[in-house]
Amino acid sequence: MSHPLPVIIDNGTGYTKMGFAGNHEPQYIIPSVIATRDSSKVNKARKGVEDLDFFIGDEAIANQNSYSLSYPVRKGQVDNWDHMERFWEQAIFKYLRCEPEDHHFLLTEPPLNAPENREYTAEIMFESFNVPGLYIAVQAVLALAASWASKDDDQRSLTGCVIDSGDGVTHVIPVAEGYVIGSSIKHIPIAGRSITQFVQQLLRERETGIPPNESMEIAKRIKEKYSYVCPDIVKEFLKYDQDPARFFTTETFTEAITKKTYSVDIGYERFLGPEVFFSPEIASSDYLVPLPEVVDSVIQNSPIDTRRGLYRNIVLSGGSTMFKDFSRRLQRDIRRTVDTRVRLSEEMSQGRVKVQPIDVNVISHRMQRYAVWFGGSMLASSEEFFTVCHSKAAYEEYGPSIARHNAVFGNTV
Amino acid sequence: MIGHPGASPAHLRGSSHLGAFPHRSVFSSFPLTSTATMILLEYGNLVLKTILKEHFANHDPAKPSSLSHNFADFDGVQFNLATENTDRNVVYLSISWRCFSELASYNAVSHLEKIYGPLVSSPRPGYDFTLAFNMSQLPASETERDELIENLSLLKRHALAVPFERAFDAQLKGDTLPLMQISYRNEESIWIKTDKDRVTVIFSVTFKDPADIVFGKVFLQEFVDARRQTNLQNSPQVIFYPEDAPAELTGVKGIVTDKEKKKSIGYVTFVLFPRHYDAVKRQNTISLIQTFRDYLHYHIKCSKAYMHSRMRARVTAFLQVLNRAKPEVVADKRPAAAVGGGVRSFRQF
Repeated sequence: MSHPLPVIIDNGTGYTKMGFAGNHEPQYIIPSVIATRDSSKVNKARKGVEDLDFFIGDEAIANQNSYSLSYPVRKGQVDNWDHMERFWEQAIFKYLRCEPEDHHFLLTEPPLNAPENREYTAEIMFESFNVPGLYIAVQAVLALAASWASKDDDQRSLTGCVIDSGDGVTHVIPVAEGYVIGSSIKHIPIAGRSITQFVQQLLRERETGIPPNESMEIAKRIKEKYSYVCPDIVKEFLKYDQDPARFFTTETFTEAITKKTYSVDIGYERFLGPEVFFSPEIASSDYLVPLPEVVDSVIQNSPIDTRRGLYRNIVLSGGSTMFKDFSRRLQRDIRRTVDTRVRLSEEMSQGRVKVQPIDVNVISHRMQRYAVWFGGSMLASSEEFFTVCHSKAAYEEYGPSIARHNAVFGNTV
Repeated sequence: MIGHPGASPAHLRGSSHLGAFPHRSVFSSFPLTSTATMILLEYGNLVLKTILKEHFANHDPAKPSSLSHNFADFDGVQFNLATENTDRNVVYLSISWRCFSELASYNAVSHLEKIYGPLVSSPRPGYDFTLAFNMSQLPASETERDELIENLSLLKRHALAVPFERAFDAQLKGDTLPLMQISYRNEESIWIKTDKDRVTVIFSVTFKDPADIVFGKVFLQEFVDARRQTNLQNSPQVIFYPEDAPAELTGVKGIVTDKEKKKSIGYVTFVLFPRHYDAVKRQNTISLIQTFRDYLHYHIKCSKAYMHSRMRARVTAFLQVLNRAKPEVVADKRPAAAVGGGVRSFRQF
């Protein structure tokens, strides 16, 4: 082997996924959080080694009583570079245990990331860590690439519409030939956390036995274990009412501190949770546009010659798209909208125009949960990766501005 | 710790009289248990521990799950943790490392057999050494399982410990061994020399980055100077040779003599006496000395990160000054639609 394994770090708002190239899943999924002692006195010179006295990830959360927590990534973008640099420092040396001078690095960035942010990343990676090569990839593009795993060779394209739903925000990102169509991106404030909160609210109204400090965790467990997407909410309610014994379940939980057990009935929230994506009005009055409509409008806002490709390849990514039958329902709803529009335009032309049917495909695949990371892993395990990386030599020759240029890997893979 | 409890290299970081590192001035206040503050690196492989812990916890004898992970460790070590397709109960942990053949020539395999016993299996293709264990024969208790995981995660450490053990044993018996070389990285080696009364360990250290050369040399000088403190008198002697190899290495093949290339190389010698590797301290000494190189590079990087954070703080302060100096715009004279929409300010992205 000529190169040591490249390292892939995907810094998300909620979780950081990191690991080595060529694997199917990241080696670590830790919260993107850092616990430090010094947040109040940033400008003060320190004595001793307080700059090493910090924790990241789960250890940070475990130590939150004596340290102050902060989240260096906000809304997908790095917010605090001091903390980010130290987060990486510990991620590399303690968690991944690799010498950054030996390994190439692949980092991810949100779509529409400011080029300055990319330069800062390059500065830290090349100046502090002396990495031999760095590639900064757009998350949506990696998610598209990840869906190749489930397709035949001839269907592999870098045109598609990525629905990336994590914990905080859901993004709908159209990508044409590896380039993000920035003007048509839409963000929806519905994602994993809002569904958990909705389930929590449903439980609070009905179940009285849940200790308040655990209700969030319980809601999350129920969401992850039992939720699914139903084709028709009214029929689903009927089904439950006619045959409660079949659909209602009870699970017993143990309280962490007192070790008392309590049981929770699980019912309608199984399908009502994910339904928030499709009928947002049931959870809040702030945001009312259902996801399929957003996807449709994003594609309609994109350049006309890319629309068929975008409809054909709607790719899911992120943990909150993992609900059973999520892709099926989304595909059906989008197809309905599209078909109605096609029929309408045929009627309006009074039979003079015959529209070629539009193919709508929502693609669900095995690597969906960590699609971005897996896409990175795939890219970095190819030999070409090393040729498209920004090299340390180029950095020293031209400076951080090299990170503004992004070799679209569609040409290379 | 080596020698005196306060004498491990961990406590030599920084200095009391270097203007460049004003924050690292309090030697005695460094906590002795340093893992909490990440002064020392851990010896075991955390990736391996995490994966195995989860795998053991989720193990279902009726339906064993498969494993396939490739991961690295310091010094170019590559691990592979995988299950066989035919029998998912058998988990293989393989290691590949460029210096393994050298280690094997110092009887590494028989030494590892002593530690891992029946787990040792024939190496899988592409790897130097393989351990195998069967999930159906896992120890029942939690502590025993943790012990097994801990032991497996130390595979690299145990392999590199072999020449050290050998040298210490020989010296205690009064033998001298020929110079042992371990080319553990592409351009760097460890040499172990056994004398009548001592064991000398020599590291060659190269730096790729010009800034690192400066940082590294300052650090290594500090190792030498720090030992002059009274509470560190019992620690092993550390000698730093910039550019030219110490006399012990005369005639050794592969020593860089090119004048330009030499500038990025240094040699660090640790002189260990029997008190540093008696029965109690031996294992710890080996672990600490093995991680020396990674430790050094880790701290160079941490120092740079620290300096960067100071630089950022300075820039923020300057920007505040700049923004204060901006002339006030009188409200009614402002153009209705300023380019960029409103008041401009200097800011950092």
